[in-house]
Amino acid sequence: MLIKDAPVIWDSLRSIICVYKPPNVTCQRVRQTIITAVCTGLNEMECRPPMDYVSIEGNPSTQLTVTVKPNLADHPLVVGPRYQIEDLKCSWSNYLGLHSSGVLLLGLRNGTKAAKLIRENRPTRSYRVSGRFGEATENGFKNEKVVERSTYKHIKHANINKLLAAMQASHQKEMFKSCGVDLQSQTAYEMACEGPIRPADSKLPVIYGIKCVQFEPPDFVIEIQCINEYETYLKSLIHEIGAKLRSTAHCTGIQCIRHSYFTLENALLRKHWTLQHIITNMEECIAIIDEHENLVKQKKAALQ
Amino acid sequence: MLRRLIKTCTVRTLGPFRPLSSVQKIENKISTVENSSEIIDPRLVSNSDNLNENPPESSVLQPCKEDISYVAPYLRPSFNFAAYVNKSHTLQQLLKLGVRLYKWEKNQEVPPYILQLDFDKDIKSYIIFLTDLGLQTEDLGKLIEKNPFIFKEDLENLQVRINYLKYKKFTDEMILRIVQDNPMWLSFSTQDIDKKLGFFQKSFSLTGNEVRSLTARKPRLITYDIEHIKLNMFVIKEEMGFTPEEMKQIVLQTPKLFMNNQHRILKTFDYIHKEMNIPLETIVKMPQVLTCREFRIKQRHQFLQKLGKLQFDTKKPNYISLITLVSGSDAHFATEVAGSSIHAFNAFLKTM
Repeated sequence: MLIKDAPVIWDSLRSIICVYKPPNVTCQRVRQTIITAVCTGLNEMECRPPMDYVSIEGNPSTQLTVTVKPNLADHPLVVGPRYQIEDLKCSWSNYLGLHSSGVLLLGLRNGTKAAKLIRENRPTRSYRVSGRFGEATENGFKNEKVVERSTYKHIKHANINKLLAAMQASHQKEMFKSCGVDLQSQTAYEMACEGPIRPADSKLPVIYGIKCVQFEPPDFVIEIQCINEYETYLKSLIHEIGAKLRSTAHCTGIQCIRHSYFTLENALLRKHWTLQHIITNMEECIAIIDEHENLVKQKKAALQ
Repeated sequence: MLRRLIKTCTVRTLGPFRPLSSVQKIENKISTVENSSEIIDPRLVSNSDNLNENPPESSVLQPCKEDISYVAPYLRPSFNFAAYVNKSHTLQQLLKLGVRLYKWEKNQEVPPYILQLDFDKDIKSYIIFLTDLGLQTEDLGKLIEKNPFIFKEDLENLQVRINYLKYKKFTDEMILRIVQDNPMWLSFSTQDIDKKLGFFQKSFSLTGNEVRSLTARKPRLITYDIEHIKLNMFVIKEEMGFTPEEMKQIVLQTPKLFMNNQHRILKTFDYIHKEMNIPLETIVKMPQVLTCREFRIKQRHQFLQKLGKLQFDTKKPNYISLITLVSGSDAHFATEVAGSSIHAFNAFLKTM
């Protein structure tokens, strides 16, 4: 890094970063790790020197001497490092559950505002969810105990494709119902002309596209484009697919591969969570936000 | 006014030492204190001497020519050391040793105790004692930072504790390493240390030399929470299924394992033993793999699996030992061990 001054770097932390959240680590843990990495990185750089301490000594009625020396009360060994972990604001714009992995957007300092705007604008996210037929577990994920077993030999690739297409169609129908306007009105017609629209409710999960990308019985992988989803919803979706295909299924992995314009390529791996990499990543993210204005400022309900 | 002045200055300087009875008595004591300690401002002492020689009875309305700049309210109670450090010689000396004072503020008992210490009187002798053992300045700072209550111990007691180690045939380098690595060691009494060493000798059936090498290797293990060590012994013996002899080998090779969290080592063990199918005998030969975090060994193992380069059989070609699997940077692993590139490895990590 060419810049050695910590305050310059501190001031440049004003946007979002895109990290790769590993599975079995909570978002809170990721946030804490990032904050610690940034603060230790900053403290290793050249920080502000202690302020001056002006001491006036001697007898006031005769001669007084004024000396200026570094203030020990401002010494890093006395008051602690210059950049404290409590001072760095950091918040995520999409929450990923414990078992999910993938793209996670974090806003740092002023970037928390951008993170909030992105969250409220509800961009679409893509997931790659892998499942396994034949076994149902207690919570729908692979780490719990198996509660039910069934056969899966009758399931063919065509069956699963047919089911997913039906699911997508019913979700699209639901999407127009939940857009917040009367279906018989002119507004609804105009909105429908522009293509898929986002629901008015921020709690209702809507699937725009669902497709099976890999099918090797008993394992299968589906790709989902959706809004307002959450981890349990995706798990129950896999369970539902298993039940509809006259078998049982549980989820073996959930990976967020895209969040609006941020893809896996932009995401920062766990081993790269250092100040140097974070600053580089932030610059990339700023470029992406500048390029796509609708990310923080949205004008219409249509899907973008 | 002058009486009041004398009263203030004596209360300020001598208040902590004794109750004030008469001016005569104070005069004598001022001279003794003047010799023995540096905490009294020299201006103040000479001033009070003058006053006592020739006490002029003057009106309070006359302009004051005396130096009364030292008459100031006491320092208020503060949240941290910053309020005192510019005035306190002791804190400044500790700062020079590189002690991180802010670390002490977490423990509420430490700051009041440290603030009443005097560097020359209470601390210097300890620093001389520790430097005689061979400690460098940075080690000293670390030791004082971790164990500020070492100044509460009697110097003779400390010497007895060092003598005990010498009596138990620890060499000087070993003793230096013990004091360096484990700042709390000197705060334990000889009986405690003897008990703890006895515990390790008995529960792992070690010989005298083995106890010494274990202590020199990981001095913190000896004074670690016994309950935690017993718990980890249970995990290693009962849950993992190692025999007592194997456990002895493990403790001699990786003493750190017994200080780790039991859930963590069990997770790593489960992955190595159940997923990778490595037999217990192989793990005993290189127990340091158990200290590795699960995700690290998992991602490297799965990468090799994907490349089809898994070979944990020593007799076949392209054998990959567990140690080479877990050690080294990712770049080294991807190119040297897996025979691939770091970009491929990074791309693989983004599919997990």
